[in-house]
Amino acid sequence: MIEVKNVTKTYGKKNNAFVALDNVSFTIPDGASVAILGKSGSGKSTLMHAISGLDKPEKGEIIIDGKNILALNQKAIDKFRSRTISFIFQSFFVQANESCYDNVSLPLEISGTAVNRRKKRIEDALTAVELLDKKKSRARDLSGGQKQRLAVARAIVGNPRILFADEPTGNLDSATGQVVEDLLFGYNKDNDVTLIVVTHDPDLAKRCDIQIHIKDGKIESIEGNE
Amino acid sequence: MKLRDITIRAGRSLKHAKARTLLTSLAIGVGAFTIVLSLAVGAGGRQYAANIISSNTNEKALYNISPKQDGVDSSKPKKYTNAQIANYGGYEMVLLRQSDLDKMAKVDGVKSVMPYFTVSPKYVTREGQEKYQASIEPFQSEVKLEYAAGNANDIDKDSIIIPDDYREALGFKNASDAIGKKVQIIIEKGGSNPLDPEIKAFEYNIVGVNKKPAVAINGGTTLQMTSGNMKIINDYNLQGTPTYGTYLSASVMAKDDVDVDTVKTNLDKAGYESKTAEDLMGFIFQFINVLQAILIGFGALAVLTSVFGIINTQYISVLERTQQIGLMKALGMRRRDVGRLFKLEAAWVGFLGGSIGSILAVAGGTIANPIISKALKIGDVSLIVFEPLSVAVVVVGLVVVSVVSGILPARKAAKLNPIEALRTE
Repeated sequence: MIEVKNVTKTYGKKNNAFVALDNVSFTIPDGASVAILGKSGSGKSTLMHAISGLDKPEKGEIIIDGKNILALNQKAIDKFRSRTISFIFQSFFVQANESCYDNVSLPLEISGTAVNRRKKRIEDALTAVELLDKKKSRARDLSGGQKQRLAVARAIVGNPRILFADEPTGNLDSATGQVVEDLLFGYNKDNDVTLIVVTHDPDLAKRCDIQIHIKDGKIESIEGNE
Repeated sequence: MKLRDITIRAGRSLKHAKARTLLTSLAIGVGAFTIVLSLAVGAGGRQYAANIISSNTNEKALYNISPKQDGVDSSKPKKYTNAQIANYGGYEMVLLRQSDLDKMAKVDGVKSVMPYFTVSPKYVTREGQEKYQASIEPFQSEVKLEYAAGNANDIDKDSIIIPDDYREALGFKNASDAIGKKVQIIIEKGGSNPLDPEIKAFEYNIVGVNKKPAVAINGGTTLQMTSGNMKIINDYNLQGTPTYGTYLSASVMAKDDVDVDTVKTNLDKAGYESKTAEDLMGFIFQFINVLQAILIGFGALAVLTSVFGIINTQYISVLERTQQIGLMKALGMRRRDVGRLFKLEAAWVGFLGGSIGSILAVAGGTIANPIISKALKIGDVSLIVFEPLSVAVVVVGLVVVSVVSGILPARKAAKLNPIEALRTE
């Protein structure tokens, strides 16, 4: 369960201060799929960065599995990021000149997974996104959709509990975007993994269990499909 | 993240920028090349010098013994002393007398005293052959001669050792042919009329023919016989002249259980200056070391230049890979590990450069060695000697230097804010 309590994040100082998140509170149950919706500059990315421990709001608490991640030291946050969560980005951020295999291997190396256990997990992840046949190809030789699928493989290889997707289909055409969406929601349902999608695409948001609308750093509304 | 994985990743990202990596490491390679080569030349030089010295000296011996001349200023007129002085090209040497030798023999720790002098006979010849000029030196057992035939094991008052050149000049077909044959040394009697000198022929058996050695200073061009023999002909030669009964210098052997330095101090107290084999070596080694230091200085300068090359390259690499660093940090890579990644890349560059430079130096040196030895006519002696340990130390040292150069860029990478790094457009 993710509990966000009274989180406030301000950029800049005094007269130039800009409130990106203003006293935000909500709760996400385990295994849910959540869409964070809002226009650019609304604070939705800041919210995602706060929940993932990349950014530190000055006020409030974010409690994941009973621990306030805002109170953790850097070492514990790094461990949290490498073991518990994972990311998918709009611009993929796959390493163009590395092979698909090495791209997927990165999170396992970061988390210090033993060498002999890596191969199977990497191949399983590549199989899940149907890229096993490309495992030796360089990432730069893949199409956009394939690159994002590779990013999904990289995100799921470490068996994360929470998966963050920042505009995962923003750079894809609708057909390939659909494939990536199916992968993400399939993984969410099959493995009971919490999926948090940041998007301004209403169609994508509709597929999620919960939609959190953000405007000017405040929560406008929280809708549930159930 | 495990060091192994970081090392592999570091190596891989260098492989992706082959040209840049190679060029940066070549800069270090120049430094490595220079340093490895100068170390090898230094080692070779020292080995050669040590060879020369050990072939010509004995570690138990003290050489160049001469009376002390305290407070003598050569630029001012000197008071007359009773000492016998020889003048060689403006350099004055106080000669030793028999009384000096006796005094030395009584010094604590001295086993034996051997005067050093040379005799210039009128000429050397043998029956039915031409006359040749020559000079004679006392035979010293510690000087290792290489013999073409015979040896000095049974050298006695009737024996002489001749160089191979004289063997040929005196008409012997080959070296073994000369063994046991007689040569005549013609000596002028001291004090006889220079226009019509009285001469005497001394006859000796050839017991050894020595080759021109690669490392020995003595024995290449002079005839050798026992010190006792030489004294007889020297006395005959100098009788009645002012230099009669004097010697250029002397060497002293220390007793087996006494340290040469102790004997040196004792001799000094008795009023004689002397040099140990180590003293003689010291000056040659100092010369080689200075030369080597200058060469290494040039290498160090090249390394210093390449340090800025590494810093620059690594900074550019950090800028280029901002997104990659951001991603790795977002995925939970620790700041320390990000820093390590870039330091290890620098280490790889250093290792590559050091290896390239060392390999080229070893290859170049190995090819040049016989050519240099041939040009200097020093025989089968290596002047460039590569010591695996010093090459390894150079490579490791350059890796360390590279890592240190990589610290600043690595710190920049480690400090990168992942949110900033991953911001798109």
